Amino acid sequence: MIILETRSLKYTYPDGTAAVQDINIEIKKGQKIAFVGQNGSGKSTLFLLLNGTLKPQDGEILFHGAPFKYDSKSLREIRKSVGIVFQNSDDQIFAPTVYQDVAFGPANLGYSRERVDASVQHALEHVGLTRLKDKPPHHLSGGQKKRVAIAGVMAMEPEVIILDEPLSNLDPVGADEIVDLLNEFNHFGSTIIISTHDVDLAYRWSDYVYLMSNSKLIGQGTPAEVFKEQELLKKAGLRQPTTLEIYHEIERRGLAYGKNSPKTIPDLVNTLKPLDLMWVEVPPGIREGDSLNLGVMYGEYATNSPYEAINATVLHIHPDGRAIVELKRKGIKAGGVLLYDTDKYSLQEVRQVIKDGEIVFVGAMGKKSKTLAEQDGIRLDVTSGVIDKSILMALCGKRCLILTAGGMVDHALKRTREYVDKSGIEFTVGVINREGGCKWLDETDGNLGELGI
Amino acid sequence: MTNILDDYALMSPLRHINNWLKLAIVFFGLLLGVSSTSPITPFFIAFCMSFATVAFGRTPLKFYLKLLLAPAGFALTGVIVIAFFSGSGQELLSFELASYPLAIRADGLELSLLVLSRSLSGMCCLYFLALTTPMIELFAVLKASRLPESFIELSMLIYRYIFVFLEMALSIKYAQTVRLGYSNFRRSLSSMGMLGSTLFIRSWEQGDKLFLAMNSRCYDGKMTLFEVKRSVRAAEMLLTSVYFLSALALFYFTKNISII
Repeated sequence: MIILETRSLKYTYPDGTAAVQDINIEIKKGQKIAFVGQNGSGKSTLFLLLNGTLKPQDGEILFHGAPFKYDSKSLREIRKSVGIVFQNSDDQIFAPTVYQDVAFGPANLGYSRERVDASVQHALEHVGLTRLKDKPPHHLSGGQKKRVAIAGVMAMEPEVIILDEPLSNLDPVGADEIVDLLNEFNHFGSTIIISTHDVDLAYRWSDYVYLMSNSKLIGQGTPAEVFKEQELLKKAGLRQPTTLEIYHEIERRGLAYGKNSPKTIPDLVNTLKPLDLMWVEVPPGIREGDSLNLGVMYGEYATNSPYEAINATVLHIHPDGRAIVELKRKGIKAGGVLLYDTDKYSLQEVRQVIKDGEIVFVGAMGKKSKTLAEQDGIRLDVTSGVIDKSILMALCGKRCLILTAGGMVDHALKRTREYVDKSGIEFTVGVINREGGCKWLDETDGNLGELGI
Repeated sequence: MTNILDDYALMSPLRHINNWLKLAIVFFGLLLGVSSTSPITPFFIAFCMSFATVAFGRTPLKFYLKLLLAPAGFALTGVIVIAFFSGSGQELLSFELASYPLAIRADGLELSLLVLSRSLSGMCCLYFLALTTPMIELFAVLKASRLPESFIELSMLIYRYIFVFLEMALSIKYAQTVRLGYSNFRRSLSSMGMLGSTLFIRSWEQGDKLFLAMNSRCYDGKMTLFEVKRSVRAAEMLLTSVYFLSALALFYFTKNISII
């Protein structure tokens, strides 16, 4: 379903500089969109047009198929449905306290006192700032201000949230928190549009990318399509995402292969598959191209997980009875990624899961879960980039636990399952404290035999 | 970061006490202090208010004394002049300075002590308010006192942007200092001028941005202010009553007393 659409949009500033020209975009509901371009390429102006703040000289904007009207009543509707978060939080936060700033939007929508209070509480809880609600903005850090600005927009419950450079001026952990937050809103059905010149972010995060340069749209498509086009990127004054660049370099050296462009570090690791060759003794009668079952290996012969079932394809048989085989490994006792929903939290249960589940790596996503863990003295190994790092640990046969809450549980579950499906590497994924949770894979120690290789 | 009075007020535990109670205490102190005819009551009020600010309000004592020093210095110099040049009663102390006779007389001293005590009690009362009630709590009071809506809205916006511009001014000043903008008097003047004009232009731009930001959240010409309900607890009420009664009693019994 198309939620926002523009047709040959044009806007020129009063001094004659063209800010956007001939922009045609279609934004589908529930997508994560990134507008990528240099500074001054017209992204911010486009956003003000999409929010009804500026009126285009030419072309039109359609919201749910109906063209924008610029009378005050229609504008109100549009601004309620399309929220915008500015690049500089100080421009956006104008009330003397956090609470009053977040309440500004809902109060303008004419909600009752109780309803305003409820939306503000809800929004602040979501961004993890409930405790700071009586603080004045100048006592907050940059990341906190950004979250207040986002809460101020969220409290109006818009269908589309537009963020202009959401991660500029934030430290890496603060940036990760904002990305987590955006993913969570998206999971609950909001359409998210961001502008950025951070190609890594656009490549990793978005579903669909628009490239802008000199006030025009010069390219669009999925991140994998757009960032493949070196020429296009050069024209836009951008470079390739780091992950993709590394991948191309190792691919050129024959050390990696894959069908998709890897987006995250686990994806990248998964493409690292040099041919795994080995000399083995083969029984007579085996011919080149046959499959051999080599059984279970462990120790130094198992490279991906503690125990591996290995099949081999015979490539070449030497006259003395030995053959070169290509190994296909399949982890048996692979690691796993377990999720724990902290909405139903009990310290005792978490401790037990960590002990009984032989969990060696614990991470927390979201402010609430981090605070809980800190309070109860649960040692956290990782607090940012949690999903990726947990997948990487699970690939090495380690067992990981992620503490998280709300929509982030499903988001994390989806991401990890996607990885398992895509890579074909099996490891356990599941939510512990939920109906139909998961049990650890049964140990396979009982029937291991040493192999004479 | 520079700490201003408002920051101490924001961190004070007394911030969460009912605003009207605090205002009542302050106005009571001001009125009683000024109308007292002996210096004892104002001194008592000054002591109580200082105690409340430092002990209950957790204002650092050193900071509080430093703060008090500036106006107290003024008051003291004025008081010394009064002591020497007014009154006509019995001489307590006299000497000649460059063959000009100077004398402190009893009623002159009495008067000067009264002036000192009154100004001190007034200052302590106002500091109590300033150090325990941040501006953001006072907006609700302004609203309840039926001031025009637009006045309150403006003051809220101004309050917020004071800090934005303060930060901006400090960083501009820093940028000028590291490039020797304040190395001599002439340069200081011209740097100051540049700072002022830059700030003016920036604040102009900020106004535009502010309008944009408010508009994009459906601004319709009215900023709603939600007052936080803070009920007065029994202990607070009791303590205030004890203070009021003892101050009034002191006022009554020291009405005709002269201390000298």
